[in-house]
Amino acid sequence: MAALCRGRHRWRRTIHFRVFTRNLTGKYDYDLVVIGGGSGGLACSKEAAQLGQRVAVLDYVEPSAKGTKWGLGGTCVNVGCIPKKLMHQAALLGAAVKDAKKYGWQISGTVCHDWPTMAAAVQNHVRSLNWGHRVQLQDKKVKYLNLRGSLMDEHTVKGLSKAGKETILTAKNIVIATGGRPKYPTNIPGAMEHGITSDDIFWLKKSPGKTLVVGSSYVGLECAGFLTGIGLDTTVMVRSIALRGFDQQMAALVTDYMEAYGTKFAWQCAPKRVDRLPSGDLQVTWTDTQTGNEHKDTYNSVLWAVGRAPETKALGLDKLGVKLNKKTGKIVVGADESTSVPNIFAFGDISEGRPELTPTAIKAGKLLARRLAANSTELMNYDNVPTTVFTPLEYACVGLSEEEAEKRHGKDGIEVYHAFYKPLEFTIAERDASQCYIKVICEQGGDQRILGLHFTGPNAGEVTQGFALGFQCGATYSHLLQTVGIHPTCAEEVVKMNITKRSGLDATVTGC
Amino acid sequence: MTHYEEVNVHGYEEFCQAVSERKGKDIFTYFSGDKDDKGKSWCPDCVKAEPVVRGEMTHLPEGSVFIYCQVGERAYWKDPNNDFKKTLKLSGVPTLLRYGTPQKLVEEECFKADLVRMMFTED
Repeated sequence: MAALCRGRHRWRRTIHFRVFTRNLTGKYDYDLVVIGGGSGGLACSKEAAQLGQRVAVLDYVEPSAKGTKWGLGGTCVNVGCIPKKLMHQAALLGAAVKDAKKYGWQISGTVCHDWPTMAAAVQNHVRSLNWGHRVQLQDKKVKYLNLRGSLMDEHTVKGLSKAGKETILTAKNIVIATGGRPKYPTNIPGAMEHGITSDDIFWLKKSPGKTLVVGSSYVGLECAGFLTGIGLDTTVMVRSIALRGFDQQMAALVTDYMEAYGTKFAWQCAPKRVDRLPSGDLQVTWTDTQTGNEHKDTYNSVLWAVGRAPETKALGLDKLGVKLNKKTGKIVVGADESTSVPNIFAFGDISEGRPELTPTAIKAGKLLARRLAANSTELMNYDNVPTTVFTPLEYACVGLSEEEAEKRHGKDGIEVYHAFYKPLEFTIAERDASQCYIKVICEQGGDQRILGLHFTGPNAGEVTQGFALGFQCGATYSHLLQTVGIHPTCAEEVVKMNITKRSGLDATVTGC
Repeated sequence: MTHYEEVNVHGYEEFCQAVSERKGKDIFTYFSGDKDDKGKSWCPDCVKAEPVVRGEMTHLPEGSVFIYCQVGERAYWKDPNNDFKKTLKLSGVPTLLRYGTPQKLVEEECFKADLVRMMFTED
C-alpha cells in the first residue's frame, strides 16, 4: 500500500478514517490552511483564494488573563495599531482644544475627557472591522473557522472549538501566522492578578485612572502618551533605556517631550510587587536601582508593557520538529518564510528576525500566497521598512539608526545632517518645540546615499511615508538638495537640511 | 410556529417603537423601499434581495426578532437628511442590519445568500 511506504507517522492516520482515505488518493481538504486570522493570516489566505486555491483560515483568541477577548482581525485591528491610533488621536484632540483658544475659539470653562464615550466609539469601530473582515473572507471564498489550530503532522491541522469539539483538516501547505501576546513579568508577586496589558487597555469600559505603565518600548510609551493626553495621572517605569533598538538620540527627544507634557518617568526603577489595598487601589513596591532604595506608591491601574511573546505554545511545533529560536521562542524562517518542515511556513510576528509590523506581515503574506499558488519567485524585502512611534510627539524613521550607521560605516564613513525646527502651528499656540528634530544620516563621499532618516514632530508618519519611497529608490543627499520643499510645512525642513553634526554649528532652523 | 418573531413596520417612528419594545433581544432588520398596493417596491435591489433574505430566515437564531421595515417613498429616501440616514446611518436600501452591532449587509451584499446565512448563524 502506498501509505505504508510514506512516513513514520502514517499509522497514526488510521485513527482518523476520513483523513486516511483522503491521503490515499493524494488529495487534501485544502490547498492551504492558515493558522491565525490577523494582519498576515488574512492577507495570505485572501490572496491565495483569489489565485484559485482552496483555503481555510483558523482564528481563535485565547482570552487575556483579565478575560478580555475580541473578534477576527488579530492584534492590529483589536488590541494594537487601530485602537492605539484612535486613542492617540483622542489625546491629540485634547491638546488641540487647548491650542484652539489662542486661535480665537471661545471655549468656556475647562474641557475634560470621558473615557466611556471614547472607549465605546473605538470598540464600535473595531467591531465594524471584525465584521468587515468576516464579510471579506466569505466573499473571497475563504473558509473561516473560529477554532484553536494546532499541528498534528505536516499536512494535518486540528481545530479545537471553545466547547472542546475537534475538527480535523488536511492541507497541502500550512502557514503559521499566530502572532504574539503581551508578556506578564514572572517574578513579581501580584503582577498577573492585579495588572493589565495592552490586550486589556483598549477594552476597558471604565477609565484606568491613575496608571503605572511598566515598560518603555513603544507599547508602553504610546499607551502612557495617550493616557496622559486624556488627562490621567500617568507614570512610566523604565528599567534601563527607552525605545530599545531605536536611535537613542531620537528616543531621548520622545521621552523629553513626554516629560515636559506631564508624563512622569521613574528611570532605572524595577517593580518588586503589586498588592491590592482595601480601597481597591493597587500599591506598587519598586526599587530604584541606582540608589537601591525601595519605594511604594498607589495607582488605580498597572499596565505591563514588558515585551511580547510568540504564540507557539499550543501549536504542537516540537512534535513536528519545527525549529524555534531558543532565545525568543519565535519560529526560525528562511527568506521565503519556510520553516524547518518543507510544507510549513511562518511569517509575521511569530517569525524570527522580522519586524513586528502589520504592513510587512500583509506584504509577506501576499507574496507567500503568490509563491505557493502561482509559482511566483518574488521574496519579501524586509529592508528599508519605515515605521512610526505614535507617542505624543510622534517619531518616524526609515533606515539605520545613527548607532547602527556608525557601526557599519564607521564614524568617519557617515555624514549626519540635522535640524531643530518649529512647526508653524506651534507659534500661535505658544507650544514648546524643543524636541522637534530631523536627522538625515548619509554615506560620506560621492552622492552621499541616505542611510537613515529620522523625524520627530506632528504627523511624523504622514511626513515620512513619502520619504520612504525615496529611500527605497536609493535617494542621496544630492537628491534631497534637488527637491523643492512644500511651504509652509514641517516636511519641507527635510529637504532643506544643510547643517552637519560634524560642523558643530547651531542646527536650529531660522525663519524663511 | 417559527423560532423567531416577525414584525412589520412602516417608517422611522414605528421602527423605533418596535425596537424599544424588544430590549435585550437579537434584532435583525431588513430595510426596504415602500411597496405599492401591488406589493412591488420602488427599489429594484430590494425586490431582488427580499427572496434571498426570506430564504435564509430558517437560520435565524432561536428567540430572535426579524423586523421588516418599509422606509418610505423614493423621494423621502433620496433626502439625505431622512431619519434612517441621519440617525441609523443607513447608506442604502436594501440594508440588512443586526441592531446594536456593526453587522450589516448593504445593497448587493443582500443578494448573496451565503452572506445572509453567515449573519444569521454566526455570533
